[in-house]
Amino acid sequence: MINEATEERSWTTSRDKKAKKILQVSRLAEDKILPAEKMVEALEMLISPGDRVVLEGDNQKQASFLSHVLTQVDPQKVNQLHMIMSSISRPEHLDIFEYGIAEKIDFAYAGQQSLRVAQMLEDGKLKMGEIHTYLELFGRLFIDLIPNVALIAADQGDVNGNLYTGANTEETPTIVEAAAFKDGIVIAQVNELVDELPRVDIPGSWIDFVVVADKPYQLEPLFTRDPRHITDLQVLMAMMTIRGVYERHQVQSLNHGIGYNTAAIELLLPTYGKSLGLKGKICRHWALNPHPTLIPAIESGWVESIHCFGGEVGMEQYVAARPDVFFTGRDGSLRSNRAMSQVAGQYAVDLFVGSTLQMDRDGNSSTVTSGRLAGFGGAPNMGHDPRGRRHSTPAWLDMRTSNDELARGRKLVVQMVETFQKGNEPVFVESMDAVKVGREANLATAPVMIYGDDLTHVVTEEGIAYLYKSDSVEERRQALSAVAGVTPIGLQHDTKQTTALRDKGLVAFPEDLGINRTEAKRSLLAAKSVEEIVDWSKGLYNPPASFRSW
Amino acid sequence: MSIAFLFPGQGSQVPGMLHELPDHPVIRQTFAEAGEILGLDVLTLDSEEKLQSTISVQLCLLVSEVAAAKVLLQEGVKPEMAAGHSVGAFAAAVIAGAMDFPSALTTVRRRAELMEQAYPEGYGMGVVTGLKQDKVLRLTANAFSEDQPVYPANLNAEDQVTLAGDKRGIEYVLELAKQEGARKAFLLPVSVPSHCELLQGVSEELAAELEKVTFKNPSIPCLSNSTARALRKGEDIRNDLAVSIARPVKWHEATLLMKEMGANLFLEMPPGRVLTDLASAAVPSVRSLSLSESGMKSAVLLGKRYRNG
Repeated sequence: MINEATEERSWTTSRDKKAKKILQVSRLAEDKILPAEKMVEALEMLISPGDRVVLEGDNQKQASFLSHVLTQVDPQKVNQLHMIMSSISRPEHLDIFEYGIAEKIDFAYAGQQSLRVAQMLEDGKLKMGEIHTYLELFGRLFIDLIPNVALIAADQGDVNGNLYTGANTEETPTIVEAAAFKDGIVIAQVNELVDELPRVDIPGSWIDFVVVADKPYQLEPLFTRDPRHITDLQVLMAMMTIRGVYERHQVQSLNHGIGYNTAAIELLLPTYGKSLGLKGKICRHWALNPHPTLIPAIESGWVESIHCFGGEVGMEQYVAARPDVFFTGRDGSLRSNRAMSQVAGQYAVDLFVGSTLQMDRDGNSSTVTSGRLAGFGGAPNMGHDPRGRRHSTPAWLDMRTSNDELARGRKLVVQMVETFQKGNEPVFVESMDAVKVGREANLATAPVMIYGDDLTHVVTEEGIAYLYKSDSVEERRQALSAVAGVTPIGLQHDTKQTTALRDKGLVAFPEDLGINRTEAKRSLLAAKSVEEIVDWSKGLYNPPASFRSW
Repeated sequence: MSIAFLFPGQGSQVPGMLHELPDHPVIRQTFAEAGEILGLDVLTLDSEEKLQSTISVQLCLLVSEVAAAKVLLQEGVKPEMAAGHSVGAFAAAVIAGAMDFPSALTTVRRRAELMEQAYPEGYGMGVVTGLKQDKVLRLTANAFSEDQPVYPANLNAEDQVTLAGDKRGIEYVLELAKQEGARKAFLLPVSVPSHCELLQGVSEELAAELEKVTFKNPSIPCLSNSTARALRKGEDIRNDLAVSIARPVKWHEATLLMKEMGANLFLEMPPGRVLTDLASAAVPSVRSLSLSESGMKSAVLLGKRYRNG
């Protein structure tokens, strides 16, 4: 029997609410096209107080026109917004909190605004939701942070709302999917309106309004490292990593964090890697942004495939000319997708290698420093062992340390650090600044980037610690301190144990790997300058002005 | 594209600093206006002899900085934010429209008088470079004693801190800092222990003085000395100008904040290049230029290019 007391309820409240708003705003628009000068008015009608708003601030691409418009709405009309952003990267992203438009934020990364985030949190001007990894934040867009409004950026659009997002597609499909299919309102800023798109990255039926921005969206080159700044010491560490990790464990698929250490590895593959006869045996498949420093390895046939989180300024032509390696559209240009590439980098690759500013004796690491709340973006997704993994690869299986019938493999999680940072600050410390920062900011957990129990290898200029092989916490600490140099952690090392650790394979010094320290020279790099990378690319790589020195 | 105007504090003064400003109608007019309020010819204040007095120093800095910034404004170079170090904060408040120039002149004169009278002898300031801020703060806190008080005064850079207090206390910290590996640690030729609790009395008298002045909300945010926050209300600026004399100047943090607020060109008002050097070291990706060094013309050209960006 149906309970007769049950009142008839509406099952379309959010759809009805959206329809009403769209109708109201459509008088400002022609079809789906809103004029730029009406945008403040439009946002005031489309966004309600307390709405969950995703503003596209990606690692690279920024919906900079829409973020600017959002700062101009009347806080009497639009307020208490709950912002959801991958990356807090522009001043306006926080100005909206100062102006009383937004109230709460959930995010993944705030490197460019980390001091201001910390200050505003302390001043009570911003309520912190949580700091996420990219995948967690994307996941929550479909669970408990479903957006009411999405403000996104694309390269081109047409009158029907179809969008071309090109090389820097990044977060766009994920954000739009979460909003469009749950009656959220989706507004796209485009650099230009065209009759025919090179390809359709987002179908028009998912988009409510399109506005042509006064300026192209902001995009910064973040993944370009000039080989000129790679040091001999970094060459040494890169040689150790190739020999002692990639070759030893037969690493075929991987992700590199961005930095000079990893750039050195990329530039040693066609030279040092080749001399070891490793071509075709390691580093074949990548989840990686289009790093210019990988060009020599691609050109010499090392790389079979690369799936990208985002694009990189200057790499457009080169990528378009190498569709056998990169994921490209029918138009030829790169298709990136951060959510997909993060999933790939978390579950489908053998190894992650990155760097850090601080590490404690248990191998926990963080780049958080005093007075700054930055988050980590994607590193924790890739820098951990996804314990649900089932498929095997030689490297994954090689991490097994017991003969148990149920023993499983492990993701290789590698940290590459010099024992001291610039300014003579030790990397290996008793207690990370992150612990203090977490306490002071009242975070539920300390902002650790990579947990020690996920870490399998640490490479320093002293040697490699094979942490995954240790039987006990004590042995693990000894192995780590053996490569920690003269830092506070390194000084705790009992040198009497070094030989035993080396015999047991827990620690390897360069000589144990057949590497002569004096041979570690910059001259081994396949390209020693940006100019030489351009040569390798046969002129297809077009570096941004700030990297041109010739 | 955002420009930040920087206004230096004491220590940047040089003899002849007002005479060295370019011959420009706005500058002549600023000198005349200041002269009228102060009842003297400001061009008599910048001799080596006169600059022995902190009163002349602070007035010269205020006049020089306001005059130069007004030229930039008139030439069409408009800042998005302003930050002044110590007494420089008064010039910043004037240029941001929070207080008027005549009030700034009389308040700064009073501020300098109060400072000069506060501690006739035995007190001063020192500087430590090449040692991390945290470490210097720890050394200073440990070295503190009631009869030889010593405090951190200016947190200028990650590795540059000035100290204020009893000279013996300062010398003790300088010695400790050297032992810890500081690059430089020495006493400054300054007799007033600025930016520490010892000036609490001065701060209170200055607050009473500032109460007589009308403050308006600034047209651009001014960076606070005492909290390194962007101040957008006239009342907050009034309060900061009063309290900061007895608190450490958080300059390094303010510099970092300006970058996060979008500053991509720092223009330092004359005299000197102290703040330009600090900014270049703290945020190398942001262009910094000292008007004293590069001249007004370059500043105008560069400023316009960044505005049009």
